[in-house]
Amino acid sequence: MKDLLKQKRLRHALILLFTLIIFTLPFLITNNYYLSVLVIIGIHTIVVVGLCLLMGYAGQISLGHAAFYGLGAYTSGILTSTYNVSPWLALLAGAVGTGIIAYLIGIPIFRLKEHYLALATLGFGLIIHVILMEEVELTGGPSGLSKGIPYLSIGSLVLNNDFKFYFLVWILALLALILANNVVHSRIGRALRSIHGSEFAAQSLGVDTGRHKLQVFALSAVYASVAGSLYAHYITFISPSPFGLMTSIQFVVMAVVGGLASIWGPIFGVSVITIMAESLKEFMPLLIPQAGGEYEIVVYGIILVVIMIFMPDGLTATLVKAYEGWRYRKERANETP
Amino acid sequence: MKLLEVTQLTKTFGGVHAVSDVSFSVSKGEIVAVIGPNGAGKTTLFNLMTGVYPPTQGNIYFNDTDITCLPTHKVASLGIARTFQNLQVFNNMTVLENVMVGRHIRSRTGLLGAVFPLWPVQVEESKIVESSLEKLALTGLADKAMEQANSLPYGQQKMLEIARAIALEPELLLLDEPAAGLNSSETRDLVDIIYTLRDQGITIILVEHDMETVMEITDRLVVLNFGNKLAEGTPYEIQNNQEVITAYLGEEGL
Repeated sequence: MKDLLKQKRLRHALILLFTLIIFTLPFLITNNYYLSVLVIIGIHTIVVVGLCLLMGYAGQISLGHAAFYGLGAYTSGILTSTYNVSPWLALLAGAVGTGIIAYLIGIPIFRLKEHYLALATLGFGLIIHVILMEEVELTGGPSGLSKGIPYLSIGSLVLNNDFKFYFLVWILALLALILANNVVHSRIGRALRSIHGSEFAAQSLGVDTGRHKLQVFALSAVYASVAGSLYAHYITFISPSPFGLMTSIQFVVMAVVGGLASIWGPIFGVSVITIMAESLKEFMPLLIPQAGGEYEIVVYGIILVVIMIFMPDGLTATLVKAYEGWRYRKERANETP
Repeated sequence: MKLLEVTQLTKTFGGVHAVSDVSFSVSKGEIVAVIGPNGAGKTTLFNLMTGVYPPTQGNIYFNDTDITCLPTHKVASLGIARTFQNLQVFNNMTVLENVMVGRHIRSRTGLLGAVFPLWPVQVEESKIVESSLEKLALTGLADKAMEQANSLPYGQQKMLEIARAIALEPELLLLDEPAAGLNSSETRDLVDIIYTLRDQGITIILVEHDMETVMEITDRLVVLNFGNKLAEGTPYEIQNNQEVITAYLGEEGL
């Protein structure tokens, strides 16, 4: 009982420390480009936190999360620009709608497992992408929606620059993290982890594994949708290209790099991959003059393979283990002078 | 009063009759063993009773409810818990968390409550911890609560499976080879635990190869051979049953 409380306090202390760091950063960084990278990291973190609940805790894979991200972005974009709905209402509508869609498509596809499930989610992602491309009247087609997506505002405060938007995104990202943390340490979270541990045993204890998988799938879709809405109001222009297969894969890579079954993994994984992707954009053309965006996927592939082979628990867990090993050796060295 | 009744249960895999035309019943408060040589269909019988797969023929009644084709988690929620021949401990969780999963059907927090754990959720959570610690104390694992489940030695992992199963507060507990791999002192502890559970009103069916233990603790035995029920009776009757002796030792053994 005591250990349990101690663990809980440590968790809370870490979250508090991290919050402090996050909210002092924008005052130290004056370069707008760096700030915008941090905003994107925040948005992606929200998606990946949800994806980690699904992948790390429930042990189910999704190669279609960019579709939910896109559904959120387009719901917000279309409702606010074409129908003049309030942005916050549109964000909520996107979240609820995407959650329901995820739940409904989850009913048939969660009859599948592993590779088959991965393929089914990938197929769903492709379908949504095609719809975004082809429903020109609704979505603007390949050229997207460029007119009339407003900035978000809180009361009279319009979040029209990186500095202001940064705070909103990171408040929501931290909220996403805290809520996910709540789920992990709850009855539902334990049920999810038990599915990962042994689905057979979980069922024998009365855990309705199918239902819980569906619920967490829907929850992770809601996370992605909220992030998509934020993206739409941040960039104020949306086109289908950021919501394709490449982005879905990127999300999975971020989740795996950070480490699946850790609540800190997402922030870490997203930061590493986003910063790397941004640097690649700069350095790739210097190395290979004709290189375009398609070279990124090669790098993601290599990273994924290397991580899977050498750090199957992800970067976060590997670093924690390395630190514990270092501390252990140091203590040993102190004992035997 | 009959707690469980199995009638003419048959399960075929391809052409193989894993269980064929088996009938028996178990009364409240009994300790019953299912024994038989390897491949006799004991684990298949357990899997049928817990809804892992549906039988080809026959029916299973629990408290006069037909549970024949119910999915596993529904069977569990009616009050049938089990352990496994091959350990199915949740390796990714602590010992305490393993048992807490056992409280799943006795608690209610849904996804919304999990996301926003308000006061009632926290009260329920501490009740879950409390009763899980009780079960750990009963199985002698109280001081291991915070350890990672897979760090326990084999014998203790088997105890953990029992603690997890009884956390569900089952009416009927199915133990699949609980003594396999245990040393003699651990087996003693196991016997004590089984008696304690029986005294708490839990009916127990076990599959076991350790004949000494089986004969000591059971009220009745069901003997399977090649999927068929060979005999049924008290330990004394079974020990003196010619057919059973033949099945175990072969004709030449006599």
